[in-house]
Amino acid sequence: MTAYITRRLLFVVLVLVAVSMLVFGITVLLPGNVAYLILGQFATPEQVHVLELKLGLTDPVWLQYWRWASGFLTGDLGVSTLMDRPIGPLLADAISRSLMLTGASFFLIVVIGLGLGIVAALRHGRPLDHGISIGTYLGIAAPEFFWAIIVIIVFAAWLGWLPSSGYEPISSGVGNWALHLIAPTITLVLGHLAHVSRLTRSSMIEVLESPYITAARAKGLPERVVVLHHALRNALLPTITVLALDFGRLMGGIVVVETVFAYPGLGRLIIFSIQNRDIPTLQASILVVAAIYALANLFADLLYARFNPKIRYGRNVG
Amino acid sequence: MLQIDDLTVRYRTPGGEIEALSSISVNVEKGATLALVGESGSGKSTVALAAMGLLPHEATIPAGRIAFDGNDIMTMPAEARRQLRGSRMALVFQDPFSVLNPSLRIGEQVGEGLVYHRDFSTERAFARAIELLDEVGIVNPEAVAKAYPHELSGGMRQRALIAGALASEPDLLILDEPTTALDVTIEAQILELLEQLRIRRGLTMLFISHNLGVVRRIADQVAVLYAGQIVEQGATEDILHRPVHPYAKGLLAAIPRLGEKKQRLAAIPGRLPDLRKPPVGCRFAGRCPFATPDSAAPQILRDLGDRKVRCTNAEHLRDTPWPHLGDGAPGEAFTAPVDSAPIVVAQKLSKSFTLSSGFSFKGWRPAATVKRIKPVDDISVEIAPGEVLGLVGESGSGKTTLGRTILRLVEPESGTIRIAGETVSDKPQRALEAMRRTAQIVFQNPDSSLNPRKTVGELLGRPIERFGLAPKADIPARVRSLLDLVRLPAHYADRYAHQMSGGEKQRVGIARALATEPRFIVCDEPVSALDVSVQAAIVNLLADLRDRLGVAYLFISHDISVVAHLADRVAVMHLGKIVEIGAADEIMNAPQHPYTIKLLSAVPRVDGPARQTGHLAAQPD
Repeated sequence: MTAYITRRLLFVVLVLVAVSMLVFGITVLLPGNVAYLILGQFATPEQVHVLELKLGLTDPVWLQYWRWASGFLTGDLGVSTLMDRPIGPLLADAISRSLMLTGASFFLIVVIGLGLGIVAALRHGRPLDHGISIGTYLGIAAPEFFWAIIVIIVFAAWLGWLPSSGYEPISSGVGNWALHLIAPTITLVLGHLAHVSRLTRSSMIEVLESPYITAARAKGLPERVVVLHHALRNALLPTITVLALDFGRLMGGIVVVETVFAYPGLGRLIIFSIQNRDIPTLQASILVVAAIYALANLFADLLYARFNPKIRYGRNVG
Repeated sequence: MLQIDDLTVRYRTPGGEIEALSSISVNVEKGATLALVGESGSGKSTVALAAMGLLPHEATIPAGRIAFDGNDIMTMPAEARRQLRGSRMALVFQDPFSVLNPSLRIGEQVGEGLVYHRDFSTERAFARAIELLDEVGIVNPEAVAKAYPHELSGGMRQRALIAGALASEPDLLILDEPTTALDVTIEAQILELLEQLRIRRGLTMLFISHNLGVVRRIADQVAVLYAGQIVEQGATEDILHRPVHPYAKGLLAAIPRLGEKKQRLAAIPGRLPDLRKPPVGCRFAGRCPFATPDSAAPQILRDLGDRKVRCTNAEHLRDTPWPHLGDGAPGEAFTAPVDSAPIVVAQKLSKSFTLSSGFSFKGWRPAATVKRIKPVDDISVEIAPGEVLGLVGESGSGKTTLGRTILRLVEPESGTIRIAGETVSDKPQRALEAMRRTAQIVFQNPDSSLNPRKTVGELLGRPIERFGLAPKADIPARVRSLLDLVRLPAHYADRYAHQMSGGEKQRVGIARALATEPRFIVCDEPVSALDVSVQAAIVNLLADLRDRLGVAYLFISHDISVVAHLADRVAVMHLGKIVEIGAADEIMNAPQHPYTIKLLSAVPRVDGPARQTGHLAAQPD
């Protein structure tokens, strides 16, 4: 197992190095001069040149990359060109808020999605199954901003139960904090249920028809044990892989949802830095998203190994 | 113990409702073993599922009663039936490779019945599982209990399944083809184990099988099923030696026997009747050589001496043997020209596969680990024109790899191959044109070796076109003559694979191999996927083709009796080496190598000494 984890970790590091090069390369190659951006359109070429020297923009690209990447390793993420503040704390705040949102959404997606999938599989071909299919497909078919607007209209405007936007720290009261999380969470969950429930449903149907399930029934096990212990374990395997990808998609989803709900997380930070050409902040944010994505996949692989003894320890001999 | 009365089971299918069982009645006495015998489609597995109350949703039971120990299990509430299952009655399934849950440990799967039926704690059930594994002859049961199914061999898995079935001390054990997926030596061990358990625990068994030799070792009573009906039922030895019903006769005659030589096997022509609307009269009449006008009347299962037979003519047929219809007249046996050069010469062939490679830690250092097997290890064989060389061995012995290596479908690592005088081992694949024409292959599974989107005509026409063997306009005529060669009607040229039965598909597979007019064909388990009666017809066909066309075969099979029947010489393979090779008669009658002796003694026979227990001690696989 150790060997397997080590191999996977090495792979994650490689991916992150490659992503950092890409992120750095793209932002360096983009048109527009950082020094101009900082100094404004009335700057003289001399002033620009001085600032370029100061920022190291005249150095060779690999040196710039090295400076940037090694700064990352030592915890120095650079300074936001727009806000003139260190990026580290800025990003940490945004990440923690976004993780609250994605964490809650992801938890609900897993619980509700698996539940719906299992129920649909057990009732497959019947009205409840079709109802679940239609409901989850509607969720995935309409874009997130559509659901965001519907949620705002229904819960904030008509019912008045939820605030329409914004964020309150926990220090201002747990109730208040949670209330602001609900609307964006609903929006994110709606858009992601279909994947998990559909996949769970189809793999569950397949597993329920396999000989070892008949064998489990022949042992006279209660149906609950047959479904949850014997079938779900095997039906989960494909779902786990998709869940990791879905976590990545959630990171994309927050860009839209946080913007609509004016929720100050990672998504908004990215939009904000793009709009204002705050390149160092953008680079750091994207790298963080990539890291989260890679770690989610790593976690899924480990979980997969946990549930599928055939790939554990690499001792599979076919 | 188990009493089934007038049970009828129907399945709803897209093509209409089919009647899988029609008024079946069987009675298994306490401590007795009843065998249900029949070919695919006879409904024998449906009996097992019905008895366990595990029929799929598509099944309906319009009539019948199933009583277990006097209680009608069909009127029982579902919960009571569940508590009976796995507790007082247990089922062992056919395929040990798919009935174990891949993600649960063996020990848990063996013991879990105890948790739900006997209120054991999980730990206690696991400990009991280890004892049970020990009882069914598994060496090192602690380690096996902690293992996952994929880490075990087929024989060990079947033992574990039996252990699981025995866990809660059932009164009735239902076994659905428990040894069909296993090698003969493993099969012999499992049968031995079942016999021991039966004596030790006084088990009642319902044993389902298509293999009459296996049935003979284990059962007191036999019921022969055909198209959802019992056609004959009686004491095992009676039925196996003096079958009365024509189908039972045919089934027995179709089995190749060790030591019986070189006639054509008796095949049963035709196929099962359409079970959507089964014939009113005798269901076997369409295939029966003894059919009379009486056969059109409904047949009842009636007493005839100690047995029951479903045939109005039973009294007259009692002593009439199954006629040797064959598949055409047995032709003159082919004799190879005495001093002709061999068609295939393989010398010092070797091939190995890397099973897994990766790295693991030795202490703190990562080290490369490679696991290799050598399925073909320094093998030399020669095959004369028109000769049949039989190749036997258990699964994993390297038979298939050897066959494919000779044809360069698998690249050899070392060694030389000459086919029809041409050295083919050192040529690049694209220069093998001539060899591809001379040497062909027939695969084991006709379902997966025929392209489902092409008609038979296209499948057979393609090689003719590819090798330019006939002008385009003549191809349909060539296809017709190929179909005629394998005794399929000409209109089959328009059929797709799914519109044919297993035997017909295999005929097409053979016709495709013959399309290039080869001189040598590798037959890789060509009859293993087929029923006995169909197997006999295909074996006869292969023999006829050899006699008429002078084709040489490398005939690969795990079934020694089939090989012995067809082959001139037999080679026995074990762990990548040929351990013994010689004339078929000599190998069968006077085997020299211990492995050959072991393999031969493990074959369950329908004739010869009745029970051969004792000499095959249970061994670790």
